[in-house]
Formats: sequence, structure tokens, C-alpha cells
Amino acid sequence: MISLTHFLIVSALLFSIGLYAVLAKKNAILVLVGIELMINAAVLNLVAFGRYDGALYGGQTFALFAIVLAAAAVAVALAIILNVYKHYKSINPDDINNLKD
Amino acid sequence: MEQLGQLSTPILAALVVLFAPLVSFFIYAAAGKQLRTGIPAIAAIAISLTASIVVFCHVWNGEQIHQQISWFQIGEHAFGAGMLLNNLSAIMLLLVSAIALPVHIYSTIYMKGDSGIHRYWLYLSLFCFAMLGLVMADSLLLMYIGWELVGFASYLLIGFWFTKSAAIKANKKAFLINRIGDLGFLVGIAVIYTQFQTFDLLALFGEHGMVREALNDGIEWRYGEHGMPVIWLSIAGGAFFLGAMAKSAQFPFHIWLPDAMEGPTSVSSLIHAATMVAAGVFMLVRISPLFDDHVLLLIGTIGAFTALMAATIALTQQDIKKILAFSTISQLGFMMVAIGIGQYGVAIFHLVTHAFFKCLLFLSAGAVIHEMQHLKEKNNLAIDPQDIRNMGGLRKYMPHTFRLTLVAALALAGLPLTAGYLSKDAILIFAFEWSEWQSAWWKLIPISLLITSALTAFYIARLVFKVFYGKLRLQRNDSQKYHPHEASRGMLIPMLFLGLCSLFPLFSYNPLIFEDSWLIKGFELPETLERVNIYHTVIPAAVNGLAIVMIFIAWKWYAKGKYPQGSFQGALYQFSFHQWYLNLFYESGLVKPLLGFSKMLYAIDRVVVDGLVEKVTGLARLFAYASHWFDRSVVDAVVNGMGKTAFVIGGLMRGSRKGKIQYYIFSMFLVLLIVLFVGLKVFSP
Amino acid sequence: MSLLSVLIFLPLCAALLVLLVPTAYKTVYKYIAIGVSMIQLLLAVYLYTAFDTELAGVSAMDGYQFVEKLPWIRLNLGNLGTLEVDYFVGADGFSILFLLLTALVMLVAVLASWKIDKQLKGFLSLLLLLNTAIMGVFVALDFFLFYVFYEVMLLPLYFLIGIWGGVRREYAAIKFFLYTLFGSVFMLLVMVGLYFSVTDPITGNHTFNILHMMDSKNYVEGSVFSWIGNGQLFGISARLLGFIILFIAFAIKVPIVPLHTWLPDAHVEAPTPISIILAGILLKVGGYGIIRICYSIFPDIALNVAWWIGLIGVVSIIYGALNALAQQDLKRLVAYSSVSHMGFVLLGLASLTPEGISGAMFQMVSHGFLSAMLFFLVGVLYDRVHDRMIYNFRGLASIMPTYTVFVAVAFFASLGLPGFSAFIAEAFTIIGAFNAESVNGLIPRWMAIGGAVGILLSAAYFLWTLQRMFFGHTRLKGGSQWEVLLTDVNRREKLALVPMVLLALLFGIMPALVFDKINASVLSFIELVSRVNH
Repeated sequence: MISLTHFLIVSALLFSIGLYAVLAKKNAILVLVGIELMINAAVLNLVAFGRYDGALYGGQTFALFAIVLAAAAVAVALAIILNVYKHYKSINPDDINNLKD
Repeated sequence: MEQLGQLSTPILAALVVLFAPLVSFFIYAAAGKQLRTGIPAIAAIAISLTASIVVFCHVWNGEQIHQQISWFQIGEHAFGAGMLLNNLSAIMLLLVSAIALPVHIYSTIYMKGDSGIHRYWLYLSLFCFAMLGLVMADSLLLMYIGWELVGFASYLLIGFWFTKSAAIKANKKAFLINRIGDLGFLVGIAVIYTQFQTFDLLALFGEHGMVREALNDGIEWRYGEHGMPVIWLSIAGGAFFLGAMAKSAQFPFHIWLPDAMEGPTSVSSLIHAATMVAAGVFMLVRISPLFDDHVLLLIGTIGAFTALMAATIALTQQDIKKILAFSTISQLGFMMVAIGIGQYGVAIFHLVTHAFFKCLLFLSAGAVIHEMQHLKEKNNLAIDPQDIRNMGGLRKYMPHTFRLTLVAALALAGLPLTAGYLSKDAILIFAFEWSEWQSAWWKLIPISLLITSALTAFYIARLVFKVFYGKLRLQRNDSQKYHPHEASRGMLIPMLFLGLCSLFPLFSYNPLIFEDSWLIKGFELPETLERVNIYHTVIPAAVNGLAIVMIFIAWKWYAKGKYPQGSFQGALYQFSFHQWYLNLFYESGLVKPLLGFSKMLYAIDRVVVDGLVEKVTGLARLFAYASHWFDRSVVDAVVNGMGKTAFVIGGLMRGSRKGKIQYYIFSMFLVLLIVLFVGLKVFSP
Repeated sequence: MSLLSVLIFLPLCAALLVLLVPTAYKTVYKYIAIGVSMIQLLLAVYLYTAFDTELAGVSAMDGYQFVEKLPWIRLNLGNLGTLEVDYFVGADGFSILFLLLTALVMLVAVLASWKIDKQLKGFLSLLLLLNTAIMGVFVALDFFLFYVFYEVMLLPLYFLIGIWGGVRREYAAIKFFLYTLFGSVFMLLVMVGLYFSVTDPITGNHTFNILHMMDSKNYVEGSVFSWIGNGQLFGISARLLGFIILFIAFAIKVPIVPLHTWLPDAHVEAPTPISIILAGILLKVGGYGIIRICYSIFPDIALNVAWWIGLIGVVSIIYGALNALAQQDLKRLVAYSSVSHMGFVLLGLASLTPEGISGAMFQMVSHGFLSAMLFFLVGVLYDRVHDRMIYNFRGLASIMPTYTVFVAVAFFASLGLPGFSAFIAEAFTIIGAFNAESVNGLIPRWMAIGGAVGILLSAAYFLWTLQRMFFGHTRLKGGSQWEVLLTDVNRREKLALVPMVLLALLFGIMPALVFDKINASVLSFIELVSRVNH
């Protein structure tokens, strides 16, 4: 029987992989992929917990919202990356260090 | 006391007497420089004289008149202003206006052409007003006001020629010394007020006045519920006498009077010979019930000493006005003795006769000085017109002046047929009679008076002989002939009037016995003295004998020029000539130390008192610096230190972050984890 | 609105008006200032004539005239009750004369500032503000209000001396400010102490009402200044300490020796109009404060320390006079003579006799316009040649005759010549002081005699100055150039001087003009102070 715990373990793994990608990858696209993984880990959690809300399906609804928003965010993020590339001629996050004072 | 509204003739007349000179004063004050004529002033004083004759006729030996209006109120005490007319004030009113009128007329000639003559008439009118006010005042306060105002007028007139430095020093001196006297007067008033709660002369010194009614048991002086130790009675008397001493130029306050001769001679004759200086005597007579035996003895002693001292000084002076000034001081000493022996009527008698002949002497001297000044200006001489060493032989040039001077000089010397004889003998005789009742030492007073009168005869004879006899000494070395002229009629007529008044008929039908004088009879004679008949014959004889001897010596010395040369270098001569060195003593013993003291006090004020303030501010400033240091290096240091620490830590941290976004995210995540962990640890149930 | 309030706030409005007028219209605000001062003088004269001499005032509320009482600050302090501060003004015999004096001296001061060019607008508005504050001090019957006016008085003066003064003006201004502030800061403490000791008998709240403070029944039992509790502060009786502090605060203003050293400096550096105000009115605030506050609120102490106050008076008289004798600067001489003359005020107060207190009051009024006149006259000379050292002048009488007449009149009036007001004042102060030993035994007789010596000394320094500066042959430091500059007094100067001469004469000849107004108040004041004995 696949219990809630399994879902949560998968979700945690997904989140960790995503986090790793965000922190370690030297390519902004892959960082974006990491972010998507983390969002999807969260969506998985929402759906898994949503099972216990039989009346309103709040978890499912939120998951749908999150997916849509993630899609939108990806679109925006890709556009930003494109612009960053135009400006810096690189999409390596280490090269974009204007925040350094 | 009558009410206002019932203005009887004498009161109305007295008001006219008082206010006529005041009106003249205002006329001159309003007109300023334009009004150079003396007519308003003369008219005013003539009106005063007429009115005072009216007053005199009503009041003399009649009922005394006291009229008052309310002036102001302090607490429960009301103070009035009014007049008190009795024999004493009536005769003084008459005297003052009768002397002032001839002097005014004389001044028109004497002061002719002076650039400040409008001021002269202004001041003179003010003086007359003040003097008349002083005489008729009915309260001590009003009297004090008149007293100070005459001093003020005298100040103005002594310094009339204000560009002369001697004159302005003299008037300052006169005013200051009179101020010392005023101080005494004020203290006296304060004692009286404290004891009796009033200033009213009649209530205080009248027949059943408070002063007479006050109890004196030798320990306490008590009136009603007020009492004070009996010493205050003597202090009050002494204080009033101090006032009189300054005003009437008694030792040691006489030094202002000789200097006051810097004023115009007409002023000297009116103020510094006849009227103002006699105000002290008048005041003492007015408050006479106050004096106890100690004060009376003091008055007598000072008077006798002053008389003698001034006479010795007058012997050697070379300035004609100075001689007369010392003579005035000496004669005032006589009056003081009369008061000291309780013979107030006699004091007033001598005051009156002296006023006439001394005024005349001054006016004659003025006439002489006028001529000498005239010669000096005409011939460009470098002489002092008042120095008798330049005069001589003026008898030939100025016969009328000479004759009138002679009359006055005889009166001063006290020879028979003159008024001076009557009054001076009265004082001497009473002084001897009085000394009968005292211990032997007090015989010194009449004896010194006797010596003084001999000296008087000598110095006045010296003056007359030196000025009018012999040859005009100006001519000595010069080839040029000088011709002094007789004084003009405008000067001679007033002098003639005074000369007539210096003779006996005005005062007594009997030229030899003073007791027949109406003036003495107008004052109650104290009955305490027993008549010692022998004195009434011996003393006049002695006085006149001495006087004649003295005059003879003077005639030999000065008219004939046979004086012993050696006597002019002696120490005694110098002592007399330098006026007993009193001026020197005051200058170096009192004035300089006082000025030095005031300078020292000022230095103390700057250095110590102000220095202390500076020290306090310095201390405050020190504190300020200290707290500033503390603020900078402690309080501020802590704040700055904290800031710096944060800065350093921040810098350290910043070193590891290189603007890489993934590091930021990592650390955020790390922090989140830590918070989560700690949060779980702490808040987990 | 009572006339007193008009009197107080009229100059304040005028000050605002002056500020609004553009700087281009210089003469306009001169005329505003003069106009307001004249209106004020007329008002003051009206108040003087309308004043009912029967009513005493002093400690009785219904004895005050032209009273206005409005609640001003009401602050609920919880446990401590309500903070009650009233706008409470009224006049009795002690204040009515000062209103007249202030109005007159202010007018003269405005006339004397005619020649000031430097920032005239600021000068005049500060002057008018000062006017408001002084008027307020003389009529305030609420201690808080009094204190406010008292402090407001300081500020304009500081600027007036510090900006428009002479060479060492900043030094003098700061010295003046610190001296006075020193006094008033401690006064604040006593004021607060009194507030917590006194309650309003009607509302039961603590109060600043001065009249309530005069009544021993209004004191809370056991409070700091309570009469019976005999509270102690630092080991001495609290009431004694309170009296001393208040006395020092006011005595600095009077001033007394040895707290007088601000006065010569302030006078010498201050411009003429400010000197006139300082000597003419400010010093009287000190004397007024001693009467209204010190003596009336602490009568028990006043009786005990009378001897010392008398002594301070005598020392001030003689010390000031001797110092004046040593001066070479004419203005400094006049300043020290003020110290000497104000000593009479203390002497008269200490005597606590009707004569002495009336004399002291008269002396304050008389000194008010005589010293104003003296400073004005010094200013006339200084305006012309910017010098006032006595030794640089000689024989001025020959080139400035009218000026010399005015100076001589002012000098003789100040040295107490009969016919002028100072004579009556000083004579009665001395008589009262002399009388005291018989009446109440407060001060010994030698003090009166000491005061009389001061009169003698004042004659000495004034006459000596006359002799040195005005008589003799003309000899000036500036030679012929000065002779041209030294023109005689002009019409505007005469306009300022003549009224003061006339007033000095009027009061000297008819002292009833003053004595009648204050008599009831003086008697009730003596009643108030001396009844604590039994």
C-alpha cells in the first residue's frame, strides 16, 4: 500500500534535487529547472495532503494554481535569462555579481 | 490754628514776602538770556520788604501766627506746610529783605556788563525765596528744605564765574561742607521725629510744646509712649548744632567761608556775611528748648574758640575779602557764645546789628575792589585787585566810601554810638555773668571773647589804615599816576542806608545801655542770671579801652608805616597767615585719603568682587571642559565603538560573499534551517 | 478685558505689527513704537487717576483693582490633583506707580533710540516685547505668570545688549544673563515648592496664586514651606532657605553689594535706551519683587532677617557711593550711583515703618526717572563724540549751556536737593530707618546715620563731576573738532528731558501724588508682615 509517507519521501527527494540544482549548477537554465523541481515537490505535497480534504479539494485546487503560476514564472524567468544573456554574454550565475558592493 | 480761607493781613503779607522773589525767579528763568536788567528782581525784593514791614508791624510783640495747609500723609501721620510768624521770624524777615534790597540795588552797578548777569538775578531771586522760606517755615522739614536751598543758591552764586577754577572749587567745597551740616540737621530731625512723631515747630518748641513737656529723668528721655536713652537728647542737640556749625562756619567747618569769597562781592555781602551764614544761629534759636546743658556748653565752647581763632587769622590776611570773611566767622562765634549761655535774644540782636555793619563792610570793600579792578583793566596791571598791599591812601579819592567804612569798622570794633557796641557788650556782659555760675574753667569763655574783641579792633583798624591811609602803593615803582574814583551813586546810596542802620538810634534811644533796646525786649530774657552790676560798667570800659589801644597800635604800624618788620616771619605769623594750616590738614588728612579709599574700593570691586564672579565662571567653564572631554572620550566613544564593531563584523562577513547569488540563497536556506531546528527544539511540546 | 491686559499686550501687538511692516518704511515703525508708548502712557495715567486710594490690596483679593482672572492652564495630574495656573492680574498701591513709571520710561527709551540704525526693526520689536514683559511682571498675581513674564523680560534684554551694545557687549550681555538666570533658576525651585505647599481654600487644589501664598492657613500641614511643620532642607529651616533664595534672585536685580558687578558692565556696554530701561525700571523689578514676593510670602523670615537686609542696604549705599567717587567713565559713575541709591530701598524696607517703606517706594519711583534722565544725558554726550571719559572734557558749560543746565538739574535732583523727588524719598527713608528702633526694634539707629553719610558722598561725586567736566575753561580731548560736534541739546532730546525734570519737581513739591496712592497698601503691608509676631 502506498501511504502518505511515500509521497512525502518522493517529494523531499525532488525538493533536495531541485535545491542542489539551484545551489550548484553553473547554468541559469539548470537553476531554473531546479526551481521547477522544488515547485513540483511542493505541488506533490499539496496533492498528497489534499486527499484528506474530501469535501473541498483545496489541495488539488492549489496544486492547479501552483502549476499555472509555475508555468507563468518559467516564462518570465526564461525572458529574464535571455536578457541577462544579452547583457552579460553569460548565463553562469557566478558571473552575474553586480550585487557585490 | 486757623483754617485756610481766613487769610488775615499778616498772612497775606507773609505770602507776598515769600513769593515775590519766586515770581522774579520764574520771570528770569523763562526769559533766559534776553532779560539783563535787574528791575524785576529789585521790584520783587522791594515788594518783599514792604510786605515784611507789614508783617513786622502786625506780629512784633503781638500774637504769633501759625497757618498751615496739609501737604501729604504717610501712614497715620499728616504733614503740613505752613508759616509760623512770631517775633523771631518777623525780625528775620525784615532783616533779610532790608539787607537784600540795598544789595540788589548795589548789584546793578557792581555787576554791570557781566555777560552772565541774567543768571545773577536768577540765582539771587532764588536765594531770597529760599532764605525767606527758611525763616518763616513752620516745620523742621520745611526749614530743612529752605536750609538746603539757600546752600544751593550759595553754591550757584559762589561759582557764578564758572570758568574760574578757584570759584568752582570753592563752591564745591562750600556745598560739601554744608552737606555735612545737613547730615547733622537730618539726624536731628530724625531723632525729633522718632520721639515726638511730628515736625511742627510750634507743637515741638512752643510754650507748652512737646520738648518742654518731655520727661527727662537723667536715664530716659520720654514723651508719651515714646522714649529713648537720654543720650539721644544730647545727640539731637549736637546734631542740630552740627548743621549750624557748617552753615554758620564754626570751627572746624569754617573753611568754606573764606573760599566762598570767590563769588561776586555783592553776593558775599548778602549771603556770606549778613543772611545765610546767620541761618545757623537763627535755627538754633528757633529750636532752643531742645538743648540740654552739655550741648549748650559745647555750643559756647566752639563759639568762643571759633571767634578767637578766626580773629587771629584775620590779623594777617592780605586779601581784603578774606579779612572780612574771617571777621564774619569770628562774629558768628560771638553769636554762638550767646546761644551757649542761653541768651537767645542777644544772639539775635547781634545777628541783626552784625548783618548791617558787615554787609556794609563788604559793600565798601566791593567798591574799593571795583575801583582797583577798573585801574587794573585800564592800565593793564598784573595785580590782584583784592590785595590790600596794593591799596592805600584811598581816603583822598573815595571820601564817602571811607566814611561809611569807618562807621562799619567802628561798629565791628564795638565802639560807642554804634549798634555793634550795644550787641557786643551785651554778649560780653552776659558771658561774664554766666561764668559766675560755672566752675572757674568756664571763665575762659568770656576772657577769650574779651581778647577776641581786642583783636577785632586791631585787624579792622589794620584794614582801614592800610586801605585808606598812607599812599596808594600801586604808585610805588611806576611813574604813571593813577586816579581812582569815588564809587558811583548807585553804590553809595545802598551803603548809606546800611551805614545809618549800623548806628545806635535804630536799636535803642540810649546809646550806651543795650538793655533799653527794643529788639532785646522783644525776646524773653532768661531770669536765671543774676544781674552783676559791676560787669555792666567794667566790661564796656575794658572793651573800649582795649579797642582804643589796639586801634592806636594799628594806626602807628599801618598808617604811619612803623610796624616791626621782624614779626612777619615768625612761626606765629605763618600759622595765622596759613589759616592754622587747616586747609592743608583737610586736603591731606581727609580728602586725599577718602579718594584713595574710594579708588582702593573700586580696585577691590574689580579684582575681588568681580574677580570672584570671574572665578565662578572660570570654574563653570572648567566643568564644561571636563564634561566635554568626558562626552567626547567616554560617552561618544561607546557609541562610536559600537558602530565601529558592527562595521568591522560586517566587513568580515562581506569578505566571504562575492556577490554570488547562489551563496546568498545557500545562506538563507541555512539560516532557515537553523531557525526551524531551533524553533522545533524550543517550542516542541 | 481689563485695562491692565490692554496695557500688557498692546506693545506685543505693536511688536508684531512692526515685524510685518516692510523694512523699506523705516520711519513708520519708529512712529508705531512712539504711538504705542504714548497710548500706553495715557492708559497708565488714566489708571493712575482712576485708582482708588482707599483700597489696600497686598494680601486681600478684593483690595486689588482692575483685576482680571482667567483660567489658563488646567492639567489633570492624576494623584497630584489638577495643575492650576491662572492668568491673574491686578493692581494695588505697590504696582500702580510702577505702571506709570514703566510707561513713561519706555516712551523716553523709544525717543532715545531715534538714532539707532542697525536693524531698527529688530530693535524696536524687542523693545516692545520687553515692554510687555515688564508691564506683566508688575501686575501678575499668579506666581507662574509672574515667572513667565520675569523670564520673558530677560531674553530681549540679552539680545538688546548683545547686538546693539558697545565694544564688550557680548561679555556684558552674557554676564547680565547669567547673573539674572542664576537667581531665577533657583526661584523656579522655590516656586514649585510653594506650589506643593499651598492649596486654594475654595477648590482645594494646589495653586500658584500669590495671594493664597501669603496666608498661613492655606499651607498644607507638613509640606516643605509649611509654617508650623518647621520643615528643614539641608539642615536649615526651609522657609528661611526659600526666603534667602527669592531674596537673592531679586537682590541681583536691585542690585545689592556684592551681587552688583553685572550692573556697571551692562550699563556701560548697553545702548542708551537700554541703559535707561535697565536703570529706570529693571532695578525696580527687584525692589518690587522683594515687596510682593519675598516679604509678603515669607513675612516671618523677613522680620528675623531685617537686620541683615538693613545692613546690606547701608553697605550698598556707602560702597556704591565710594565706588562712584573713583570712576572716570561718566556712565560707570552713574551706574554705581544707582547701586548707592537703590541701597536706600533696602534700608527703607528693612525698617518696616510707614515712613521707611513709603520712602523706599518713593525712592524707586524717583530713581526711576532720575536715573533714566542721567543715562539719557550721558547718551547725549556719547552720541556726539563717542566718548564719555570725565577727564576728556572740561568747561562744557561754555559750549553746551542748556545741556549743562539739564545735567546740573539731574545731578542736584539725584543728590537730594529739596524740591526734587529724591529728597523726600531719601529723607523719609532715613527718618523711617531711624524710627525703626523705637517702633519695632528691627534695625539699629546707626544704620540710618550710615545712610545719611551716603547722601553726603553722593553730593561729593556729583559735584566733583560737575566741576571737572562742565566748569572751568573749555578744554576737550578732541580739540576744535569736538567743539563743532558738541552741539547743544536738540528739540527731540528736550522733549524727552523736560517731562522728567517736571515730574521730578512735581513729585518733589507734591509728594502726596505718590504717598496718597500707596498709603493704604503700605499700612496693610506692614500689618501683613508684622502680625506674624503674635
